[in-house]
Amino acid sequence: MENYLLAMAVFAAFYALMALGLNVIWGLAGMVNLGLVGFFAIGAYTSALLTVKLQVAMPLAWIAAVAAAAACGIAVALLTARLKGDYLAIVTLGFAEVIRLIASNELWLTGGTNGISNIPGPWRGVLSPEGFNIVFAALGWGSVAVIALLLGRLSASPFGRVLRAIREDEMVAAVAGKRVLAFKVQAFAVGAAVLGFAGALYAHYNAFVAPDGFTALITIYVVLALTAGGTGTMRGAALGGVVVIALTEGSRFLAGVLPELRPVQIASLREAVIGVALIVVLYIRPQGILPERARTLSLEP
Amino acid sequence: MFLTRRTALLGALAAPAMAGSLVRIARAQDTGPIRVGALTPQTGAGGAYGPGMVKTIRTVVDDVNGAGGIGGRKIELSSEDTETNPDAAVRAARKLIDVDRVAAISGTWASAVTTAVAPLAWENERMLFTVSGADSITKLPHKGYIIRTQPNTYLQGGRIGQYIAADGAKRVFALSAQTPFAIDSYNRLSEILKAGGSSAVGDVIYDAQKTTFRSEIDQALKAKPDALFLNGYLPDVTIILRELYRAGYDGKKYTFGYAAGQKLLDSVPAEVTEGLIAFSPSPNVGSPAYARVQQILGAEPDPYSAQTYDHMSLIALAIAKAGSATGPAIHDNVRAVGDPSGVLVTSAVDGLKALAAGKAIDYEGASGPCKFTPIGDIEGCKFRFEAAEKGKFKLLTIS
Amino acid sequence: MADELLQLLINGLLAGALLTVPAIGFTAIYAVLRFANFAVASHATIGAYAGIVTNVWLGWPAPASLAAAFVVAGCVGVLTDELVLRRLRPAGALTAAIASVALTIVLENVVRFAFGNDPRGYDLPVFRDWRFLGLHVGPQEVRNAAAALVVMTILFLFLAFTRTGKMMRAVADNPTLAALKGIDAITVARLATFVGMGLAGFGGMLIGMDTSVDPLTGFRVMLSVFAAAVVGGLGSIPGAVAGAFVVGVGEELSGLVLDPSYRTAVGFAAILVTLSFRPRGLFGERAY
Repeated sequence: MENYLLAMAVFAAFYALMALGLNVIWGLAGMVNLGLVGFFAIGAYTSALLTVKLQVAMPLAWIAAVAAAAACGIAVALLTARLKGDYLAIVTLGFAEVIRLIASNELWLTGGTNGISNIPGPWRGVLSPEGFNIVFAALGWGSVAVIALLLGRLSASPFGRVLRAIREDEMVAAVAGKRVLAFKVQAFAVGAAVLGFAGALYAHYNAFVAPDGFTALITIYVVLALTAGGTGTMRGAALGGVVVIALTEGSRFLAGVLPELRPVQIASLREAVIGVALIVVLYIRPQGILPERARTLSLEP
Repeated sequence: MFLTRRTALLGALAAPAMAGSLVRIARAQDTGPIRVGALTPQTGAGGAYGPGMVKTIRTVVDDVNGAGGIGGRKIELSSEDTETNPDAAVRAARKLIDVDRVAAISGTWASAVTTAVAPLAWENERMLFTVSGADSITKLPHKGYIIRTQPNTYLQGGRIGQYIAADGAKRVFALSAQTPFAIDSYNRLSEILKAGGSSAVGDVIYDAQKTTFRSEIDQALKAKPDALFLNGYLPDVTIILRELYRAGYDGKKYTFGYAAGQKLLDSVPAEVTEGLIAFSPSPNVGSPAYARVQQILGAEPDPYSAQTYDHMSLIALAIAKAGSATGPAIHDNVRAVGDPSGVLVTSAVDGLKALAAGKAIDYEGASGPCKFTPIGDIEGCKFRFEAAEKGKFKLLTIS
Repeated sequence: MADELLQLLINGLLAGALLTVPAIGFTAIYAVLRFANFAVASHATIGAYAGIVTNVWLGWPAPASLAAAFVVAGCVGVLTDELVLRRLRPAGALTAAIASVALTIVLENVVRFAFGNDPRGYDLPVFRDWRFLGLHVGPQEVRNAAAALVVMTILFLFLAFTRTGKMMRAVADNPTLAALKGIDAITVARLATFVGMGLAGFGGMLIGMDTSVDPLTGFRVMLSVFAAAVVGGLGSIPGAVAGAFVVGVGEELSGLVLDPSYRTAVGFAAILVTLSFRPRGLFGERAY
């Protein structure tokens, strides 16, 4: 049981990292991004390919993964520069889907739906399964702490202030002489880099990556993590990771509580729990995901 | 505020669930109940197959427990959903291994799922019984902890190619769902068809998630085939058959039994499926195990449920033979229960009785003879070929 | 070669016709309520299943089942909007959109809970294609396209000539002015949701008739539906129609140069291309 909890702690760290990345893009800069899993996948595949096919050392591969994800972040930011809210949401969704399609179809590069297996992990053959989990939990949460600290500094810096200004009102920021596009691109790159790093760690922990592992649902988990933990705060992102794993894994034990249900019904309940949790969280935060100006029709008298 | 209201609320929702499980810290594996796990696709792309697979596993468990268990110990089955997603499946497998402490896991359908779960199995020394077909699976460094009851691509492609060539098809076009073995199986098919005097005239690989395949079918029909090999799964093959009918195609059609079971025949008009030939790995004619699975499912068994029936039976018998319910014990004894010089048994209950009487046994199951190579593949199996006639399957041959 | 091109064009137009109805639903809700309601995916599925229940279990003919699909999806839409989405809308379009994603996950799983994962088909005959001039067209596809056309016409007449329709357009065009003129915003919101989700359900059943019905039926076409609405301009109904045909034809024609597996990427590409030249979509962000 302890080993299981350790393993879950590792996954929670991955979600915390992704929530941190999202926090930069969404929480700080106010840019909608439903394509998170795409950057996560790029980081995972880059690191996996470099270590498995080219025998690159892990730390170097991780750096490359971060760079690759950041580069894609820059590309996406440039492509979508003029898009707003809802358009951005749909386009970023499409981006993640394209990444998944490339991963599934370009067999020469990614092994297709077969995935890439036998990815090395730090001291993997040497440690016991428990030992490996402990190392990775430390690695994962250590990264969360360091990155949260760095991003916290970034948020309080002038860079962070400009991002918040852009989030509130782009027009004003532009008039004030800030090169809005440059800031947005940088924010996207930073966020994507963190997501890519999470992906690299994931690949080496699991020893295996496949396109099926990068579904749009993961993006929803990350959104849930960020909103549950508290958008805008780095601490909240970390907490959110724990909450998401607690929900996805805790709901597993429903089967013991409701034995009359068929497995497919238990499964649909578990998936529904995530949706319900997200709705509950949105309700508890009456200001919503972002403290933004309400642009919808306020139809209440 | 570190612990805000919302996170506390969510924690409170999840906590009771987790607390309940903390109480059940299972310990020794040689006394107390025997723990096994079912890991099947209940949702996601393989969701059509999971429920049947769990049903046969559970029935074997109930049968064995009803007959007194194994050496007086009852079997406890834990069941988890792979969600046809390697990420979710890995977490589910970890729960089965670390929390439920199962000695063996049965199920894992999608090849990507099996490839992801396999290292957990061999690193923790638990047996993994899978129904995945990709050749690469048994080539992993699994130290004998994988048993695969599904004929691999090489074996299947070979047999099917022989049959199609013998059936008189001269120009075979393949419509394959995007899977790890789509290309491998086409290559193997071409090879065998050529040897049999036939030919493979083309292959189109499609995304099984789509809902329309008109362009793919146009492409296929342009090559003027007299036979089509439908290498996909139930949802997409159903659509393709309908669209082939609309397109006026009247030639031969071949597919796998897992794609075209009774469910498919029931969901489209008979004209659409008329003449479709489906093949599945099969035990011999009149196999009592097969009949039992038919009984359990109330219909023509799909190949996967037949296999999981055998998985669970093999697990029970191996444990009985070993006198111990650990992963390594099953690992060491799973081939021993298929001793050709032993008494022929076709159910776990019968096998347990024979073992208790000190006899050697030869288990032959619902999916085939259940004899395995050192790397975990089946040594060979027969195939059943069935043709759809007026909305029902008719057995043509088992060979 | 010209044959092939023409066939792809025909396939594309017929596929696009199926996309129009849910795309209109999505864009209509956007026009009136000003947020992207991603729950159209699950409502399309719900409509398809309403069709299964009425057509397969109760034996109703197709037109009656289609009407049932519309009504059931519309009612579920209004119900879930009241219970879940309405109170979140004042918090912002983004919050509402995220909530709609969560809602679609819940609804899809309610369907899965009730019906399981097995694909189902309707109790309808399958016909051979009509063949002419080296091309082929399915009579059922043509009928579905015709059904889509009929629904579009009814919607157009409703919006253009009925009082309620004009109220909806007024709220979509200028909510403040509409409120000043005493139009009951809440009723209009409910109506927009009913019509929008009803269209999604109707479209879902049409798609199910063309392919098959399982809990993921709506989700699978969603990227194409969103692409259609975005390409046409969010909030514009003629835009949604145009966008649906652009995406439908685009996806078919892309088979000439791209691997067919990349089809869904075409929607994404179409969005990028269109928005680069016309950032508000082909018809701009207006309502009808």
